[in-house]
Amino acid sequence: MAVERSPRADARPRQDQGDAPRARPPRKPFSWTWVGVAPFFVFAFLFLFLPSASIFFRSFESLDHRFTFQNILDLFQKSDIRNAYKLSLQISAATALGGAFLGFLLAYAVTIGGLPRAVRNFMLSFSGVASNFAGVPLAFAFVATMGNAGLVTRIIESTTGIDIHAGGFTIYNFWGLSIVYMYFQFPLMVLIMAPALDGLRREWREACENLGGSTWHYWRYVALPILAPTLLGTAILLFGNAFGAYATAYAFTGSFLNLVTIVIGAQIQGDVLYNPGLGNAMALGMIVIMSMVMSVYIWSQRRAARWVR
Amino acid sequence: MSSKISRRDFLKVSAAAGAGAVLASCAPTAAPTVALPDLTTGESIPLDALIKAAQSEGSLTTIALPHDWANYGEMIETYKSKYGMQVNELNPDAGSADELEAIRANKEAKGPQAPDVIDIGVAHTVTAMNDGLIAKYKVATFDTIPMKDPGGYWWAEYYGALVFEVIKGAVPIPSDWEDLLKPEYRGKVAMAGDVLKSNQSVQTVFASGISRLGKNPETMEDAMKAAELGLEYWKELNAAGNFIPVIADQGKIAMGETPLVMEWDYLALANRDSLAGNPELEIVVPKTGVIAGPYAGGISAYAPHPYAARLWWEFVMSDEGQLLYLKGYAHPIRFNDMAARGVIPADMAAKLPPAEAYANAYFPTVEILGATKTYITDNWRKAVFGE
Repeated sequence: MAVERSPRADARPRQDQGDAPRARPPRKPFSWTWVGVAPFFVFAFLFLFLPSASIFFRSFESLDHRFTFQNILDLFQKSDIRNAYKLSLQISAATALGGAFLGFLLAYAVTIGGLPRAVRNFMLSFSGVASNFAGVPLAFAFVATMGNAGLVTRIIESTTGIDIHAGGFTIYNFWGLSIVYMYFQFPLMVLIMAPALDGLRREWREACENLGGSTWHYWRYVALPILAPTLLGTAILLFGNAFGAYATAYAFTGSFLNLVTIVIGAQIQGDVLYNPGLGNAMALGMIVIMSMVMSVYIWSQRRAARWVR
Repeated sequence: MSSKISRRDFLKVSAAAGAGAVLASCAPTAAPTVALPDLTTGESIPLDALIKAAQSEGSLTTIALPHDWANYGEMIETYKSKYGMQVNELNPDAGSADELEAIRANKEAKGPQAPDVIDIGVAHTVTAMNDGLIAKYKVATFDTIPMKDPGGYWWAEYYGALVFEVIKGAVPIPSDWEDLLKPEYRGKVAMAGDVLKSNQSVQTVFASGISRLGKNPETMEDAMKAAELGLEYWKELNAAGNFIPVIADQGKIAMGETPLVMEWDYLALANRDSLAGNPELEIVVPKTGVIAGPYAGGISAYAPHPYAARLWWEFVMSDEGQLLYLKGYAHPIRFNDMAARGVIPADMAAKLPPAEAYANAYFPTVEILGATKTYITDNWRKAVFGE
């Protein structure tokens, strides 16, 4: 850390140095601490920076390997692609908000809510597992329980005689996929919010009540402002989590939902669409959108964090 | 780049023929000690000479041949043991575009990553020929192949027809495409792939349109009409709630999620065997709109083992190789020729749906395949999902 001297410190009389001009601080010897973080930087370079650079450059490549702007123009001109971005944004927003809300309530219930310790432990272990349960196994699990021939579907049918799919209900639509995403979204929220809620001190609440504040006042003026940075950060994390999901959606709905990741998949592999340049341009579009979301996040984080310092 | 390779091939040829003094003087050390058969004419090489030349190369590099697809596992094993060859198999799950890319990327490289032979969707033969990626060669049985490039750059090896793969008892057994619009198929009909990703699903849309057109489209105009009718069919199927958009793989078929799936017959029949009655599958060839999906074989123009590649195709296109396809439920392209000569064992034929069901099978031309594919994929989302 660079040592900034405050004016006051400088104003103190220095007996050891006298009037002699101050020498430049000696160069710090090489710190072995760098070795510890080197793997991280190498990893980030290989798996974050290099792929991003490759995506950027290949976005301007046509099918016959020439330079072109057509891929970027296609992002705005092709209605299929515009629809794909719209749908991806919608589903990411819906599941990020839904996941954040449900997850918050759940985290509240197991921390401040005063449920037995065992429930809390169970809930946190479950969340740790469920937040990592995604992709093909998750899609298959939902199909096997709630699908046309799913276990739950069949149990309801055999016990009540009602075929839930007869009335037009299907898991293969926007809300179906949202529910599937929620399965890994809200546990992630629980995992991150539980420690944050633990951090709310009882004294703050008591202080608020002593000053005549109601529960509403406490949450509005004390708890939420303190939690805001965590809440925002997690919501963004959930958004990115859903925005980038591919395997779950593909295994679950195949062609039905026109998500950006699915269209990219169709552009870079497969026998039919196949235009890797356009696929890369769509990926570049996703990077731009995530960067914009992150910028908004950083800005609002700064505002929100003012009250926590 | 291509000139370099063809010159090298030419060198071999000219040196073997003892001619080409000018070129030979440029590279006198390149002259092989054994005379190798001529590759430039594209004519079939006598088997003895071909085997000898292939064995001097020792191995063959294949790509995109899954062992459980059309019996390629046995095909490769038989080739190895019969001719004492090694086979180096590259990515078995590659698509047609990947195969062409593998040739393109290895034009200069003769290492183990360069494929000798490819097996691609017929529509991709246009690119392969335009880009000069494949070499001409007429196998001994060339004249009996009904679908091929007349110059011998590619030829169909086998075909499948799109069939309905139905779980017995879950839904009534349909006989034609229009049956599937009935209410008893609500939430029961699925495709085996994504229309924007899989050629099989594009063909599924086209086939339903052919059924509606009422005849096999011989002109481009009829074909485009059929493509349009096909999109309409799927729009109705989706609006009726009968179409489940999930991709029906073997797992979903096994658990009963997708009671009726459209798939190539050889895949459906292989599923019937491997699921072994749990659930029991019935394979139905629709009455109308029977579309044949042939695959095309070819030899890389830059093949590191050109003789092994030619030997592979002589074997695959012989009666023996063709019957191996049939064993894997793929219709060999020389089926009619072999049936006429009575070389198809009766028990093998009995495992397939009756031959009459295929009598009307429609073989689209390369031009029709290309145009309808573009039309269907461009309009699929708009027409069916109204986006």
